[in-house]
Amino acid sequence: MAYIGPKDFSQDHELIAEVMRVMSGDLDLSWMNDCPHPMAARPTQARRGLTLDDINDHPHYGPQAIPEIIRHNFSMAPRGSELPEGLPTLGYRVNRKSDVWADSATVLFEESKSRRWAPARNVPWDALDDAALSPEEDRAIRQLCTGLVSISLVSTDLPSRWVWLVNQEFHEIKYWMCAQMFDATRLAEAFRKRALYGQGALGRDSRELGELLKIVVESETYPLASAALNLTLFSFVQSLGRHFEFLSSNAADTYLGTRLVQDASRFVTYGIDHIRRFVDAHPAQAEMVNEHLDLVDNGLIGYLGSRELIEPLIVLSGSVEPVTAFYRQAAGEYFERCAAAGLGTRKGRSPVQGFLKLLES
Amino acid sequence: MSIRFPSLEFFRALQQRSKEDADAFEKLGVCDTTFGIRVGSDLYRIAFEVYECTEVDETTDASSLDFVLTAPVELWKEMFESVLANAGADAEHTINSLTHLGDVMKVEYEDPEGHDRLYRFMATIQEFLDEAQHLDVEMG
Repeated sequence: MAYIGPKDFSQDHELIAEVMRVMSGDLDLSWMNDCPHPMAARPTQARRGLTLDDINDHPHYGPQAIPEIIRHNFSMAPRGSELPEGLPTLGYRVNRKSDVWADSATVLFEESKSRRWAPARNVPWDALDDAALSPEEDRAIRQLCTGLVSISLVSTDLPSRWVWLVNQEFHEIKYWMCAQMFDATRLAEAFRKRALYGQGALGRDSRELGELLKIVVESETYPLASAALNLTLFSFVQSLGRHFEFLSSNAADTYLGTRLVQDASRFVTYGIDHIRRFVDAHPAQAEMVNEHLDLVDNGLIGYLGSRELIEPLIVLSGSVEPVTAFYRQAAGEYFERCAAAGLGTRKGRSPVQGFLKLLES
Repeated sequence: MSIRFPSLEFFRALQQRSKEDADAFEKLGVCDTTFGIRVGSDLYRIAFEVYECTEVDETTDASSLDFVLTAPVELWKEMFESVLANAGADAEHTINSLTHLGDVMKVEYEDPEGHDRLYRFMATIQEFLDEAQHLDVEMG
């Protein structure tokens, strides 16, 4: 269903007359004088180049100019531009700064591009030809990769469900969400390639993982979605990357694990910063976030306990103990991040704690 | 001339390598962190900004550091011997492998966001340590 504009421009005699005047040399150029807020943007560090923070260092263009609730601009107009009368609304629904904002988003966006990598050529794939993996270990790694592909694909979906609803005044956050989509796409590409390299095959998807991802992606608001994706899911993904690298016996898997860790850590960093700001602005909603994360943690337990995850981890780790130690460490760091985000002591309420005790018993 | 490990000169030589091998560090991307390497009881402060290591010194104050990689002298020696023997740490001696589980090498931190800088910039930090392969190192 297409949007029909209020005016038929092809039949607008006023517009056509204007165009004819311009074409005959009668230029108005009033837009040239519409420049009330000049700034002299320059890179503060030449080697870093011209960053978003450099061009934000101005009270009119920078994020300090954004009010908590946007009421003045629902159009596509870039923040700081002159707004003529009659701009159409683009239907943005996320118009509260504290619902999306994190000061770190500009740095993380620049970092995402600067620390880019290309799976096709940067991963030393031929190292896998000489990897000393048993057939069982080989299948186990490909099984882990299958889950990582699913996680990564859904992690492209989630920002895409929200980015078009976020007001353009928060363009840095929209940039960041697009960077997240690309980062997650690259992870899906890389781990699909790892699963299929050589005599490869994808493994079995997991119903429990599907349930976890559905809980995450169907979060009702953007702050809840961000907490679920960036704080909970990507805390675990970062830990899984570290375990993947820890288990690696060849340069290709070491490279993949390291890059999974670094890319996932940007999600986590945004998640802490964003939720802390959200909870600071709305202390009463901390409990709402915690209740949502109780559900997400419950979904996480399903995945942590699923045969499709825990069995390949046991095969690769050599026994159960390193896997429970890995889970314990991952959970501990996740709880620390939740506390840093202003969510208090989740260790005491998260169902993950009971699950870990069960595993350790 | 050989450089003794552990010593401030050793870490300054790694800093110099990050400038001489600028292409490798630029390819890995920006890295902004100030962290510590504790070798036995000695604490070295390493600062990275943009693409290169900008400062190295000794300190006793870890409070301003994002994280501190802490291990006994013998473990650091073992790690750098792996770097020298394999032209970079082998899979068992990467920073991640040594810090991931157990108490082989500890990561000390006060702030989870500081801790996560280890993981955001791990590839650069590993490259920094792997630069030891280009030095004539005398294990002290």
